[in-house]
Amino acid sequence: MSPLQFAWRSLSRQPARAVLGLTGVAVVGALLFDMLMLSRGLIVSFRDLLESTGFDVRVTATEALPGMGPSVSEAAATVEALRRLPELAAVVPVRFGVAAVEALGKKTEEVAIIGSETRRRGEWRLVQGADLAEDSGAGRPDMVVNRTFARDQGLGPGSIVRLASTLTPREFRVSGIVEFPFEASGERMAGVTLNGFTRAFPAARRDEADLLLVASPPGMGTETAVSAIRRARPDLHAFSIDEVLERLRQAEFSYFRQVSFVLATIASFFALLLVTTLLTVSVNQRLGEVAALRALGFSRRRITLDLLAESALLVGGGGIVAVPLGLLLAHGLDSILRQMPDLPSRLHFFVFEPRALAIHLAFLVLAALVAAAYPVILAARLPIAATLRKESIS
Amino acid sequence: MSAPVAIVEARGVGKVYPMPAGPVEALRDVSLTVAPGEYVAISGPSGCGKSTLLHLLGCVDTPTAGSLLFEGHPVRAMGEEERSRIRLRRIGFVFQRFYLLPMLTAWENVELVQSEAGMPAAERRARTRELLEYVGLGERAGHRPSQLSGGEMQRVAIARALANRPGLLLADEPTGELDDETGEQIGDLFDRVNADGTALVIVTHNPALAARARRRLAMRSGRLAAPSVVAGS
Ligand SMILES: Nc1ncnc2c1ncn2[C@@H]1O[C@H](COP(=O)(O)OP(=O)(O)O)[C@@H](O)[C@H]1O
Ligand SMILES: [Mg+2]
Repeated sequence: MSPLQFAWRSLSRQPARAVLGLTGVAVVGALLFDMLMLSRGLIVSFRDLLESTGFDVRVTATEALPGMGPSVSEAAATVEALRRLPELAAVVPVRFGVAAVEALGKKTEEVAIIGSETRRRGEWRLVQGADLAEDSGAGRPDMVVNRTFARDQGLGPGSIVRLASTLTPREFRVSGIVEFPFEASGERMAGVTLNGFTRAFPAARRDEADLLLVASPPGMGTETAVSAIRRARPDLHAFSIDEVLERLRQAEFSYFRQVSFVLATIASFFALLLVTTLLTVSVNQRLGEVAALRALGFSRRRITLDLLAESALLVGGGGIVAVPLGLLLAHGLDSILRQMPDLPSRLHFFVFEPRALAIHLAFLVLAALVAAAYPVILAARLPIAATLRKESIS
Repeated sequence: MSAPVAIVEARGVGKVYPMPAGPVEALRDVSLTVAPGEYVAISGPSGCGKSTLLHLLGCVDTPTAGSLLFEGHPVRAMGEEERSRIRLRRIGFVFQRFYLLPMLTAWENVELVQSEAGMPAAERRARTRELLEYVGLGERAGHRPSQLSGGEMQRVAIARALANRPGLLLADEPTGELDDETGEQIGDLFDRVNADGTALVIVTHNPALAARARRRLAMRSGRLAAPSVVAGS
């Protein structure tokens, strides 16, 4: 009978103890697994969003993260200069603005407007109708709108959007409905050409860009593109996706990492305590049996293996149940956290990664060993003769 | 012709337990030789050192004075591992409280010590069946200790102690938890075990059980009363 079979028998002999241990480990393990997913979830999810745009480098005027600092001046010339760099495959200027549209009942609603070029990659994804056509300068410029905006205003391809203004009417023709990677749920967004952007915001300074999106050529690599930009234009700031994420990790997202670390530590402590206690109590109940086995010639090694196997069954069994349980719990918690306003609706707090599973498994192995340590010492150091003597009458 | 090697030989052994209130001298200057196939009973008042002596003979513990030879090898020179191996292969233990593993069947309890000794499965099966039949429990192989009576549990424990064909079987108050009639059955079984060639050392309060031994020793205050009573010689 192998230590594992032996441990299985010991556990099934006291089903209540086994269930208690498994449940405890499963619940704590689920929490731990969730904390692992939370600690990197935002970063991973944010990376997905950034990568889904198809641009791996972002260029801004200052060290501030894209969209948070002053804009790049002389945008057209800058874009031209960058486009001449062989290390870059695409350079697209982007502008951000917020306009008002008339809603029902003479109220106005805000709409975020993104100005970009027609040769885009993934600032948005077309879901219905046609994408922007280049502006002829005459008539109404094209506009793509997101679903929320379309629903609120009853828009479809061909509809007219009139931006609220006391000056000349600023009208756009909806060419299609799109999805923006960073749109928050309930947020109205629209995309226009750069010319269209100037029409939408006549007062905005011309020839500026809030952000330049850059794609490196396939096979060339982000780092090469970033250093080429830095060399050519030391006045600008180029961020790779990794650098953007690193900035977020150190600032905005570090909070989640810290919270998850603290909670994970507390959870692990209680899991260890529970399993150690269950094993210790059971060893204490079986001291006579253990001493008898030792007297019969069972080695310390064998007794140790039996206990390790028992610990492994408890921790392993609970830990396996913890994974689906943790995924379920993470799903629930994620949908609660994502109700926070103004978050991109594609952003997730809990993201499953194979890495999290690997750490979870490594932790389980460690936990099984640590939890068994005290009971193992207790059983292996048991004085055989004294224990047998204590347990009998004469 | 040289004398056959004794299974276990104690030469002037002593055992002192250091206690906070002063050392307790559990055994003093005990000399005892158990030859192969012998049948020894040790009796004496509670606390006189019987269990301590049995544990020394069984290589469970080591003496603080004197020397102990197991099959000619000094126990003092052995490490814990080696003593453990000797206990597994050369010595059988029977306890007052049986100490069968409650989650295992009678069959599994008997088989377990054989698999620990690395005996092949087919051999284990044959040996386990043989032993359970030997102790009269062939029909109860699949029963757990909780489904057996005290006498039946002790018979399983004796089968377990014999599983690896030890040269020496040690029993500490094997009938202490049993009624007289069941104790008689256990006594009969011990007689049979001894007749089949295994040396027995039994510590007991039970005069009927002690009377079965060919050599009866009395202990008092950590000493063996001399001279030993040797029946039939
Ligand atoms: N582990 C021990 N620690 C301290 N004293 C012990 C220990 N084992 C036995 N003793 C003492 O040694 C003496 C003999 O004990 P024991 O061999 O169990 O006697 P018996 O089996 O004859 O009743 C007793 O006085 C007992 O208190
Ligand atoms: Mg005793």
